[in-house]
Amino acid sequence: MRRSWLSMIAVYAPMLGVPVLLYLYIIFNALHIAAASRAMLYLAMLGLALFSIVSFRDVFMERQKPPHFLDIRQKEGVVSHDHDIDNRTSKNVKIVEVRLNRFNPSTKMLEEHTYKVRVDRYYSVLDTIIDIKRKQDPTIAVRYSCRMGICGSCGMEVNGKPVLACETNVFKNMDDGGNISVGPMQGHPLLKDLVTDFDDFFSRHSSVLPHLYRKDEVEKYAAKQEYRQTREDLVKFLPFSYCIMCGLCLDACPVVNVNPVFIGPQALSQVQRYHSDSRDELGDRRLEMVDKLTHVWDCEFAGACSVACPKGVDPAYTIQLLKTQLVRKNLGSGK
Amino acid sequence: MEVLDYDAIILGSGLGGLTTAIHASLKGQRKIRIAVVTKLHAMRSHSVSAEGGISGVLYPEGNEDTKELHAYDTVKGSDFLADQDAVEILANGAPEEIRFYDHIGVSWNRTDDGKIQQRPFGGMSIPRTAFAADKTGFFMMRALYDEVVGLSNVDIFHEHFATSVIMDGGKFAGLTAFELANRQMKLFRAKACVIATGGCSRVYGFTTTAHSSTGDGIALAYRAGLPLKDMEFVQFHPTALVPSGILITEAARGEGGYLRNNRGERFMEKYAKSKMELAPRDIVSRAIVTEIRDGKGYTHEETGMQYVHLDLTHLDAKLLDERLPMIKELSIKSINVDPHDEPLPVRPAAHFTMGGINVNTQGQIISGDGSGTAGGMWAVGECGCVSVHGANRLGSNSLSQCSVWGRIAGDALPGYISKSSTIADASLLSRAEAEEKRIDALLESRGSVNPYDLQARLQKTMDDLVYVYRKTDELADARKAITQIRSEYANVFIADKGSEFNSNLRDALEIGNLIDLAEVIVEGAIRRKESRGAHAMVEFPKRDDKNFLKHTIAVRKDGAVNLSYLPVSITKWQPVERVY
Repeated sequence: MRRSWLSMIAVYAPMLGVPVLLYLYIIFNALHIAAASRAMLYLAMLGLALFSIVSFRDVFMERQKPPHFLDIRQKEGVVSHDHDIDNRTSKNVKIVEVRLNRFNPSTKMLEEHTYKVRVDRYYSVLDTIIDIKRKQDPTIAVRYSCRMGICGSCGMEVNGKPVLACETNVFKNMDDGGNISVGPMQGHPLLKDLVTDFDDFFSRHSSVLPHLYRKDEVEKYAAKQEYRQTREDLVKFLPFSYCIMCGLCLDACPVVNVNPVFIGPQALSQVQRYHSDSRDELGDRRLEMVDKLTHVWDCEFAGACSVACPKGVDPAYTIQLLKTQLVRKNLGSGK
Repeated sequence: MEVLDYDAIILGSGLGGLTTAIHASLKGQRKIRIAVVTKLHAMRSHSVSAEGGISGVLYPEGNEDTKELHAYDTVKGSDFLADQDAVEILANGAPEEIRFYDHIGVSWNRTDDGKIQQRPFGGMSIPRTAFAADKTGFFMMRALYDEVVGLSNVDIFHEHFATSVIMDGGKFAGLTAFELANRQMKLFRAKACVIATGGCSRVYGFTTTAHSSTGDGIALAYRAGLPLKDMEFVQFHPTALVPSGILITEAARGEGGYLRNNRGERFMEKYAKSKMELAPRDIVSRAIVTEIRDGKGYTHEETGMQYVHLDLTHLDAKLLDERLPMIKELSIKSINVDPHDEPLPVRPAAHFTMGGINVNTQGQIISGDGSGTAGGMWAVGECGCVSVHGANRLGSNSLSQCSVWGRIAGDALPGYISKSSTIADASLLSRAEAEEKRIDALLESRGSVNPYDLQARLQKTMDDLVYVYRKTDELADARKAITQIRSEYANVFIADKGSEFNSNLRDALEIGNLIDLAEVIVEGAIRRKESRGAHAMVEFPKRDDKNFLKHTIAVRKDGAVNLSYLPVSITKWQPVERVY
């Protein structure tokens, strides 16, 4: 497994730095150096100690960022593709220049490719990329299926923002010069071009027991009678059940991007989804499951997930709900 | 080549595939080892796009509904081509399936007293379609996926594209598939296989279905020598959004929406006086196309497509938000029209494959010679033609079909597996390696034809010549065009030579599947000289029970389509004229 240079520093800097500082500390003590210099030395030691605690936690949890976590900020070069296209335009038909940031798996770098496409006002970003793929460059890797915002395949970054490509209109998102930039979600491990690896994302989801738990399993699966549920009960979990597992929230989350051991907004929102369903019988065990630093307590409430979520799940809100329920359970009356 | 051994393989991860996995797992005490092999991420299968709901008689005492009436509505809707014994299995099994989904967490819309709410649907004489807003398929898929995640004996192989089904002595032996992430070919060996890969509506360009609905499993079975049934019956959904083809659910009409032509008339009055907009889909689609041909449609500025209006502006805003939120979201996001303010532009689009792999009432695939069943093979959901939909499916019966036959196949799997002996055939691996060579050769071939051009031409051919109304000479033209496309396909060029996520290779294989299936559709259509359900011939406007009350069977022989016919199973209801 490859490691980024940041994680290399994270591992080796404390290993080398702590003995060096200790050595300096002993010499400084012997030479009776001024108090101000000594204070600075103590501060440096404290900072390094903190850094080592944080970084060691990440490294030893085996949950790493993609190997090319930092490399991808560099660009190998710009390739422009000139194909003959119909150049006629009108109010509702324009030529758009797509700046496609493609991840090259052999160099592990992003490359900018530019393509010109003729689009009408109904074209989504996905339509545009499929058009390029079919007519100009079949080597582009892109994941898509339903093209109606419900399967969750086509999460990517358009003009730097995480969106579903099929729901993003080209006319509304290109600049005055007719440019639009499209790239992969960089918060997930990159595979090729716009395609990212979802294995880690799915295992986060699976780890939180995302299904209705019933004490009597035989009765659950026999399903002789429906569970009664009022409309009020339904509304309690309905908004959280809209999650299409597109991964945009994880891509947007600033915490999970620097601290991959944080389980992230998607899985936590699904904990709240099942916890607030009147049919679920797992009760407080769901709360106890997420009462960890790596789960709800790592959330710093930046709210990026809720801004990015294309289906209005509001994961940031669900995490705060989980936190308040935990606080009530642990500190509330009766305990 | 990596070889993986399982008790059963489920190919496809939509409603049919995942219900099969769950029921097989439960029935086998979570002991049989199951592989779900899917070309997508499992939760992204096209079943997520199902909107309107799932049919089933839940409360017979409440609204005087009966399972028999559900069955009759289905038979009548099918234009009497459905096998009536299969339809009864559907109507009897459906209510339990809806309750099953309730028990695994689907967010059904509820009545005031906490029961599951049901809405009216086309061709259903009584409201019996349970729904979760207009994202029913999505909620069902998420619940199923979440359930499968908790089953330790089920392994999901995301993004593995199947290239061949290997049979041995008339029985299932194995499946080859390559992993998209790294193009590694894998051989899955198992005693049983359930094909659940959905329909092939992407043979059409203007379709409601996902880009992934390419009928791969149907094509694999066809190439393995297994029979297909009634492929000429392609359902056209009357209300697909212009220009994208995105589905506007029938529930929009079920909740009170109107269809209007360019004179503002509710034209369905002329075609189905009693049911109006809620007539079955074949009738509404024919009506829309007739109106357009009579010059009563609108013309779309950018694409030149002709359409009519689906008018929801008179509906209560609260109802629209509660019961049709996705329709509102989709039309605003894709064409910038709020259905509450303006009518939606719609026209019929390919939506559902009524035909499919020929299976018996238990979902078991019939052998190529028709003498019995192919050992250890099932086909469930849209890809299996158990003939409950006949010539025209009623809206919301598809989700019940997937679930009912998913359960039937799943329940049958453990028993079959325990009885059948293990096959450790050495020739299997060599056949898989031959398949790997075939794929490598395709990748390396020095052709010159862009597969996407062929796809575009195929889709245009089908859109123009094999649409709602069909003509003998147009079908002949379509056959000629498809033959030409097939010959060019031999010279196809894959530009992407890489091993990471080579979607160019996958697409080329999918397009090959589409060409095979388009050919079967057209051959079946040419031979069926009558108008029945979704198959409307201009020259033969009447249903002809004397000559064509029979199923079309297509088997591949020497690379060509070989057609024969099978009788329809009629148990209770004799064919009568269909009036709505």
